[in-house]
Amino acid sequence: MNTNKFDKILDMIKILVISERKEKCDYFSTIFNKNTYELTCLSDENLIYDMVSADNPDVIIIDSQINSLKNLNKKIKNICNNTIIIFLVASKIDKELIKYANAFLTDDMSDDFVMSTINVNLRMKNSLEMLSNSNKDLADSLYRLNALYSTSSQFSGTLDKAKLIQYMLEGMDRALSFSLTCTLSFCSEQEPVLILNSLYELSDELIEALKLRTVLNYNSLFEGKTAPAEISTDSLKIIKYIKYPASRFTFSLFRFDNMFAPISLGENFFGCVEIFKEASFTPDDATCFQTIAQQVSLPLKSATLYQEIIEANAKLAKLERLKSEFISIVSHELRTPLTSIKNSLDILMSGRCGEITESAEKFLSMAMRNVQRLSGIINDLLDLSKIEAGKMDFNFAPTNINTVIDYVKSALSEVAKSKGLTIITDQQTSLPDITADAQRLEQVLTNLVSNAIKFTPENKTITISSKLVNSKNIHINDYFKDSIKLSEGDYVLVCVKDEGIGIAEKDLLHAFDKFAQIENSLSRKAGGTGLGLPIAKQLLEAHHGAIWCDSELNKGSEFYFAIPVENVLSPV
Amino acid sequence: MKKILIVDDEQDIVESLKFVLEAADFTCYCAYNGEDGLRLAKEIIPDLIILDVMMPKINGYKISRLLKYDAKYKNIPILMVTARSQEEDKLIGEETGADEYITKPFELNEVVKKVEQYLK
Repeated sequence: MNTNKFDKILDMIKILVISERKEKCDYFSTIFNKNTYELTCLSDENLIYDMVSADNPDVIIIDSQINSLKNLNKKIKNICNNTIIIFLVASKIDKELIKYANAFLTDDMSDDFVMSTINVNLRMKNSLEMLSNSNKDLADSLYRLNALYSTSSQFSGTLDKAKLIQYMLEGMDRALSFSLTCTLSFCSEQEPVLILNSLYELSDELIEALKLRTVLNYNSLFEGKTAPAEISTDSLKIIKYIKYPASRFTFSLFRFDNMFAPISLGENFFGCVEIFKEASFTPDDATCFQTIAQQVSLPLKSATLYQEIIEANAKLAKLERLKSEFISIVSHELRTPLTSIKNSLDILMSGRCGEITESAEKFLSMAMRNVQRLSGIINDLLDLSKIEAGKMDFNFAPTNINTVIDYVKSALSEVAKSKGLTIITDQQTSLPDITADAQRLEQVLTNLVSNAIKFTPENKTITISSKLVNSKNIHINDYFKDSIKLSEGDYVLVCVKDEGIGIAEKDLLHAFDKFAQIENSLSRKAGGTGLGLPIAKQLLEAHHGAIWCDSELNKGSEFYFAIPVENVLSPV
Repeated sequence: MKKILIVDDEQDIVESLKFVLEAADFTCYCAYNGEDGLRLAKEIIPDLIILDVMMPKINGYKISRLLKYDAKYKNIPILMVTARSQEEDKLIGEETGADEYITKPFELNEVVKKVEQYLK
């Protein structure tokens, strides 16, 4: 495009002299160097118009003595805008002519004067042309920049890969106004697909040729490497968009100027695009084309990652659901045989089937104990899977925590006594009611106290205390303070304190993890599922409360839980 | 002697219930699927039914509903035995007409006590 300017300088300067006076024509042919100027002299009106419109002379010198000067001026002005018009006048200038004229010459002017007048005007014309060309280039760049900008803002607006490819093509259409684009896309539902965006209709043969060309282009991208997918012309699906279906492209399409670019980012390959245009592409076009093809790869990569996250999430959700279902089904299936075993043991132990010896009774009770343990595990598993699935039902009602403590104390006193332990309580009287499911709180406290009984040696004491505390005065140790966020307000704080074996520092953080009973050998001796504390944690969280513990190895543990006094409980 | 119908596809459970109930001087009739259970219920008109929930062909809830909507049988107490799972918990909320729910694993003595309560 820019070469036009240089062509003009290299070209001969075309001068048209319009005059009926032969001596004037002769005069000009003597002063213009034949190597630089191409001089034509005419006087016939029709020939003049033809000449002006066909040849577009740089300079027209009009003899003002010519007939029909007025008509001629108007018509010439209409035909050519950029031509320098110089009038050859006698001494006096007709005012009418000024509006058409770039300059005037008089008959008696010296040769140098004539030449310099013409040259000044030519130089001016050249400068103007250059300016207008630069302006045009600037306008083009601005337009392209706008197109790029709007395309890139479209890119940032979606994570749909097929849409991104569509935006890329729209952007190229705006910025480059192509005749045809062939886009091999790996971004649609049935991949890969060849998208043809064409100005005119394409015959089947032409489409076959384009397919082959795309496959070759694609393979050339991965020469010596493994391509992301094997592509053949037979398997390639075509999506065709034709702007003006009334016309058709022919095979001359392959003589059009073209550009090709892969759409990829690092290891990710999304496709490639080839663009055809009847006029030739400029270096700016090439930059623009590459920019758009590169720009689309980043959002395509994000879209790929996004899609992977969605799929992974769906998989996780499904796994989570399957896990819950699995636990529920397994628990259900375990219960039935367990019932039969338990019933049989009950019947045997009742002595109705015959006298039981002392050692038989020992083993029967062992079996019975383990049946109870197994059914405890199943209940815990069911509870946990219910809470996690959000299916646990709570009966929230005003509850006094001291009632719960009294109940648990009386329920477990016998068990504690049989182990030589004492349970004492230290309750703050007249505690406000909390909104809670009393049965669930009993479950939590029973679990904590049973644990204390399990892990405390003989002749020691277990203390259950309760008091009203403001959140500001609740001190949670370093292990738990990051994971527990209590909102401001008053809480009922319950503590179960034992003088048992305690929990080592390294295990403290995991005390509320599922199946995390500290030291497996011990837990087996002590019995239990390792699910009690995680269930307690979940139950308390459903009450907007929290649970944590302090412990020192071989000295004892203190388990705390706090439940807000005032809250609006939503079902969990 | 009072007649008790036990319906459960788990034969071992039927066996143990029968054993303790007969020891407590009840006459026991047994069915091992819902269809037989329903037919037997209409045939012998028992004084009480112990009914398992999860059974092939007709589940316990359906049997209970069918009997409770029939004037001839609606006064027969029904003890429903469930293996408490999430789906069943939902169903328990529905109107099934059962008089009592017993969760597996259950205490045989408890069952006998409950039966005696209803048949006093």
